[in-house]
Order: sequence, then C-alpha cells, then structure tokens
Amino acid sequence: MQKISSERPALSLSQLNGLIKSAILDTLPDQYWVVAEIADLKLNQKGHCYLELVEKEGNAAIAQIKANIWAYEYRSIGNRFLKATNEPLKQGMKILFLASLLFHEVYGLSLNIKDIDPTYTMGEMARKKKEVLDRLRREGLIDRNKALELPLVPQRIAVISSPTAAGYGDFFNHLDNNPYGYSFVHTLFPALMQGQDAEGSILKALAAIRKQKSACDLVVIIRGGGSVIDLNCFDGYPLAAEVANFPLPVITGIGHQKDDTVVDIAAHTKMKTPTAVAEFLISGMRSFEENILGLENRIVTSVEELLRDERQSLISFAQRLSLLPIRLAAVHRNRLMIISRDIQGRVKQLMQHEQNRLTRAEQAIRHLDPALVLRRGYSITTLKGKILRDAALLKSGMLIETQLQNGTVTSIVQSGKEIRKSAKEQRTDLLPGFEGA
Amino acid sequence: MPKNKELTYSQALKELEKIVTDIESEEVDIDILAEKIKRASQILTFCKGKLRTAEDEVKKVLAEMGDKADTEAADEE
Repeated sequence: MQKISSERPALSLSQLNGLIKSAILDTLPDQYWVVAEIADLKLNQKGHCYLELVEKEGNAAIAQIKANIWAYEYRSIGNRFLKATNEPLKQGMKILFLASLLFHEVYGLSLNIKDIDPTYTMGEMARKKKEVLDRLRREGLIDRNKALELPLVPQRIAVISSPTAAGYGDFFNHLDNNPYGYSFVHTLFPALMQGQDAEGSILKALAAIRKQKSACDLVVIIRGGGSVIDLNCFDGYPLAAEVANFPLPVITGIGHQKDDTVVDIAAHTKMKTPTAVAEFLISGMRSFEENILGLENRIVTSVEELLRDERQSLISFAQRLSLLPIRLAAVHRNRLMIISRDIQGRVKQLMQHEQNRLTRAEQAIRHLDPALVLRRGYSITTLKGKILRDAALLKSGMLIETQLQNGTVTSIVQSGKEIRKSAKEQRTDLLPGFEGA
Repeated sequence: MPKNKELTYSQALKELEKIVTDIESEEVDIDILAEKIKRASQILTFCKGKLRTAEDEVKKVLAEMGDKADTEAADEE
C-alpha cells in the first residue's frame, strides 16, 4: 500500500476498484443462468452488443445491471435466437442467459453474456400470446370479424400497408394486372408495419377507414413476404381487438410461415402473402362473374328451348295447314267425279229414253205406211186423183179408182148410201200406233 | 325496377335470378319473354362493365380519404 501525503492511509480509486474486482471474482467466479428483461439494447460499430437488463415489479425496476455480448459471440447467439423465435433480441423481451460477472475499473460492474436460451423467450412470447388470445375468446371477439359476410364483389379495398414494405408493390401489380381485366378501387392507408410504433400506426389507419366504411367493401393488411421477423406488433391485444371488432371484413397478408399472429387469428381471413391476398380478391370478383355468367347460360338455354318448342309447334301447324288444300282438293275432286259420273249416267239414260221413243215412233210410223195398210187388205180409193173419204161426195156414174196391194181397180159408182158407215169404221182401224207417242 | 346506375351488385344478382326462375318455369308469355331477355341482357352488360370499370365517383371519394390518411400519418411523424 502506498502512503500518501496526508496522515491517514488512503487507497487510490484504482486500488479500491482493484479490490472490488478481485473480491467479486473471488466470490462469484462462475457463470450463472439468469432471467431478466431487456430494458435497452444497442449495437456499436464493432458489432458488440450492449444491453440494459432489469427485473420489474409492476412498472418499477427492482434490479438493474448493464450487460454486453462481444461481437464474436453475438453473431452466433443473435442468429440462433432469431432462428428459433423469429424475433431479434430487442427491448421488452425476457431472456434466460448465461453470464459471468465483469468488473472494469473505469466502466464498473457488468455482465458478460455467453449464451442465451431462446426457448425461454419463446415460451414467454407464447404465454403472452395465449393470454391475449384467451382474453379475446373470453370477450367473444375472436370470431366476430369472421362472422361478417364477405362482400358479394370485393371491389373497393382499403389497404393498410407501408409503401416501403416488401410485397407492397407485388400486391398492387397483381391486383391491377389480373387476367380478367377487373378494375379494383384500392386506397392505401399508410402505416408502419414493424417496430414499436407499428401497432399504434395501424390502429390509426383502421380508425380512418372506419369513418368511411360505406365506401369500402373490405380491409386488407399487408406486409412483405420476405422478412419473417418482428411480428410482435401483430400479437398485441389492442390491435387484435380492433380488427375483431371492425365493421368490415379484414384480410391479412402479413407474410410469415410460422405460427399465425393474433391479428391473423382475429381477422376474417388470413392469407400467407400479399400476393395471395390479391389472388383471393380476384377470385372473389371472378366468383361473382361466374355466377352471373351461369345465370346467363341458363337464360340462353331456356330461351333456346322455348323458341325450339314454339318453332316446332309452328312447323307442325304449318304442316297441317299445307296438307289441308290437298285434302280439300281430294274431297272436291271426288265430288266432281261423282257429279260427272252422275251426269254421264243421266245423259245416257236420257238418250236411251229418247232412243226408245224414236224407235217406238218409227214403229208407229211404219204401221202407217200405206203399203202396209194395203197389205193388210185395206185399199185407197181416189176420185179424180184425190183420196176419197166421204161416200156422200159420190154420185152414180162417177168413176173412182181403188188401189189394192197389187194393182189398181177402176170402178163406176152405182149407189153411195151404205158407204158412210163403213168409211168411219175404216178410219178407226187406221188410227192405232199413234196413241203411244 | 331500379335504373342501372343505381343498381347494386346484389340487386342485379337478385333480379337476374328472378328472371331465370321465371323463364325456367316456362310460364312466361313469349311476348314478355322478349322483355325479360332484354332486361337480363342489360343487367349482364351493366355488371360485366362495372366489374371492369370501377366508378370514378368511388375512386374520387377513396382518393380523398387516402390523402387525408396520408396527411394524418405525416402529422404523426
């Protein structure tokens, strides 16, 4: 020990700190597993990690200490932690770590972290997440947004995202260049999609949409597909509850492969990536169009059927009509034939009748032939060349000529008294044959 | 029957479905049929058009809302 000018013996600060250092190393020489919360975390340019560790009771710190992870170890510890939890080491996390004590004469007491067990933090995160989910369930919120009906046509879309987020461009490209040519009306409500302020920022965007909800069909929350880290902001109660309670269906495309975030679970529909959300919306439009195209087809089919039936009945009617004249003509031809046959018959009959009459007349006439009469024994007497019908015209001594069948006799009249009577009888005999005519 | 401009998708769909049911029931008179087909065709054209050309009106409203949200977000920063 060095003597200093004063009477009292005194230590230099470095001597004291040296004492402290050796005391600590003597008493606490080992490495210890410790649980603590990260109150602050910084990386310097060399890649060393400096932390502020606390233990809290409520909001008050009941213990606090500085810690560091040297760059050489931080690289492997940090990567392993990120791989396991999908989150980087950051403020607010509870960690289980292996550390030894360091005492530096200038910087004082600190912990040097040699290892971190990520399973503790994962369990811690899972426990917190489960708490939030349990609360949402208890409050009946978990399925509230799912109970909303998706719009018939998801055309007017409110998008919550950050223009700097990966997948943001993909989403709009995919939506606007859809193969069917559908036109979407999408409006961006910008928000931070990662980091401490993300939750509040997304809540603000939702509030802005809520004011204009009648102008939107649904809400889409999208974030890049590439990065899987830093999803804490989607596991908190306030945002999940607002999403669950939102009056429009909320579709998420937060882009991660592992467990769903609480917001995913509370949302109406969860998609893996922004592109998948775009596909989902396009399929919604397509589904409506297919629906109406199906109706169109049914109309066309029915109308064609109806028209075919109508045409068919028209055709058969026309056929019946076209047959009608033929049938009518046949009927008339028949009647004509009958009539003409009738007429022919009658004419024949009439001719026959006339023929008969003629024949009879001929016969009658033949009966009257003077030659025949003469043959039957009658004779014709003439007086001075005229036929004599009245005996009273005769006087004795008159010369008359009598024609017989064969030859003529000339006689001289003696008396004419008896002749009148016989002349009358002669006449009656001459008449038959004319009566039938 | 609402005019096309005021027709919503769900109204359009309902009306189309009604027309289809009417036509398929085969109780529709052939003269009325023509009218129904004409109306169906109008609705179909309207819907197909609306799917592809979102109304400017809506776009304007939403754009305004977007601007507002933009400025609000900017104010925060």
